[in-house]
Amino acid sequence: MTAVATRYDEIKALGVEVLSVSVDSVFVHKIWQEQELSRMVEGGVPYPMLSDQGGEIGTLYDVYNGSVNVRGRFLIDPDGVIQAMEVLTPPVERNVSELIRQLKAYQHVRETSEVMPFGWQPGKPTLKPGMGLAGKVWEVWKPENAF
Amino acid sequence: MQVGKEVPGFTAKAYHKGEIKEITLSDYRGQWVVLCFYPGDFTFV
Repeated sequence: MTAVATRYDEIKALGVEVLSVSVDSVFVHKIWQEQELSRMVEGGVPYPMLSDQGGEIGTLYDVYNGSVNVRGRFLIDPDGVIQAMEVLTPPVERNVSELIRQLKAYQHVRETSEVMPFGWQPGKPTLKPGMGLAGKVWEVWKPENAF
Repeated sequence: MQVGKEVPGFTAKAYHKGEIKEITLSDYRGQWVVLCFYPGDFTFV
């Protein structure tokens, strides 16, 4: 939550909006923001914090476990299509750097129809799919590029 | 729920910058959205 808030400007600059969802009421969100989040991140969490008290939204996205929504993250493109999702059980949080990498990758795909090889990071070469590349990925993408 | 498929729509109450708002997912059509579920406020991670 606060990791995304800390890098919100970077995410916003990509033209991406963030919505968080939990089963808490909007009043609990308010108190959490005032008591804790605003002390972790300057200005607190800048994006809308949604309330899903019956777990109905979580049920739609298959992340509601009967009492809470587990850690599900969905990347939705401008056509309303899910391009990526990641679901974790509660004890381990997600990685905001990976989120930003996926956003940049999918935006690049949408603009160019190029594809991203394994371990791709922004700034690394992308691949142009086609017959010419079949069997020759090894010539343009080395495993060490992934690290 | 599958990648490559259209998302289910919803409307929900939200807390945003000191105010209570109503958020409808389809209002964000035309831009990228990250939808993040988490177990609860005041948890440790």
